[in-house]
Amino acid sequence: MTALKRLQDFLFSEEPRSQLGLFRIVLCATLFYLACWRQLNIDQLGAGSLIPREMALTIFPDFYRPLIQWFFWPDAYVGLVHLGLIVLLALATLGYSNRFFLMLTWVIHQGVLNRNYAINFGADSIGGLFLFYLAFTNACEFYTLKNKVKPITDDLSSVIYRLLQFQICIIYAYSGFEKLKGSTWWDGTALWTVFANPQFSEYDLKFLSHFPWFFAVATFVTIIFEVYFSAAMVSPHLRKYGLWAGLFFHLGIGILLGLMPFSLVMLSVYFLFMKNEDIVRFFEKLSHFSTNRVKL
Amino acid sequence: MMVLLKKVMSKRKILIRLVFGFLFFYMVSMMLVMGNGQSFLGRSISGIYTPVANLIGLNTTWNFFSPDPANTMYFRYDIIFEDEYGRSTGETIEEFFPKSKDEGGDFRLDQRRFSYAMRWLAIDPERIRLFFVPMICREHPKAKKIQLEFIVKRIPPLEKIMTLRNENYEDLIQSEEVGRNLYDCT
Repeated sequence: MTALKRLQDFLFSEEPRSQLGLFRIVLCATLFYLACWRQLNIDQLGAGSLIPREMALTIFPDFYRPLIQWFFWPDAYVGLVHLGLIVLLALATLGYSNRFFLMLTWVIHQGVLNRNYAINFGADSIGGLFLFYLAFTNACEFYTLKNKVKPITDDLSSVIYRLLQFQICIIYAYSGFEKLKGSTWWDGTALWTVFANPQFSEYDLKFLSHFPWFFAVATFVTIIFEVYFSAAMVSPHLRKYGLWAGLFFHLGIGILLGLMPFSLVMLSVYFLFMKNEDIVRFFEKLSHFSTNRVKL
Repeated sequence: MMVLLKKVMSKRKILIRLVFGFLFFYMVSMMLVMGNGQSFLGRSISGIYTPVANLIGLNTTWNFFSPDPANTMYFRYDIIFEDEYGRSTGETIEEFFPKSKDEGGDFRLDQRRFSYAMRWLAIDPERIRLFFVPMICREHPKAKKIQLEFIVKRIPPLEKIMTLRNENYEDLIQSEEVGRNLYDCT
């Protein structure tokens, strides 16, 4: 009975999950940014695409093929539909959305991803998955420009909140396990291959070969972080350190490898591991600081 | 009446929570199984997950830069203009995909997508014939043939760099032409 009660408390919290609002802002703003850039590749999502429309789903092996073709629009209208996606993402970032419109946003986003799978970034795919979860929550009632009085968290939002926490832990864990299969990750030199590859690294970091220990340490730290992230989140004492490590890890790859959208998509979920009061305190400090600055 | 209503409400709430609880465990088990969907467990029970997982993009392996980070690679291709007798009708055009070849530096998101597309195409040479060649032929309607080679430039191992520090870095890169093929545009 105690276990059942604990499970109920874990899944269905009475306290407001306002962290979902911050998650929504960072996630949707990042997807908005990605979609704005994708508008420049619009020919790759229409008739001139690398992958013809009729083959868009057949390129998936049977095991991975979606049952539904989410791109319901004709190729000729993709520009317009994609602009609609940009608008929906902008509105969702500001909080002017709801479950129905978030689900519509996700359907269009997923349709765009399925239309030309070859040009997708990791940030598009993971962002899409997070957007799907977000669509079931009342995240638009927190940190919104809409005039709302004291929103509460419903059961569904509370369950999705927990699902998102599990999802990111599982992504990190599998990502770490996959790396362990590679000889260069095991050897401690994988990051050299990444940093020396001009197609990955935004800056010329080959001078770092003068500090080979850097690659050995950074490679192992990456694996340890990814494999043990979930363990750190379970422990209240280690959670703070896990989140700080993740912040530096993602800012590092975001800046050095030009993967900031991916980093922001991953970091958006970090809010869900933070306590409400810590976030409130942080914003109070921030507003206090900015008020003092204005007075000065 | 109020007591009865309360009882009904609480029963309704319990039922909803049971459904949500079931969905929670279904989703978490799906995340765990489909993260390694090609495993024995995945192959055995994926039937209950794939319809949902494939729809929402959850059926994927989370392999970033793994199992090993890829080397530098690009396509070099010639667009050949000929008549039906094989006589040249225009100057052959040499191009690269992505345009920045191995020089990198093109990190604008709209350009970077082509680098991702190239890696997707390179996984299976059949994709080059099915998708890439028709796209280039569409872009150049007068083209007759496309001659394409896939070039991989292997990043020298760290130890080699340390040992041969006085050598020019570019000389240590091992360049490989993985395949050269001629494709018809017709």
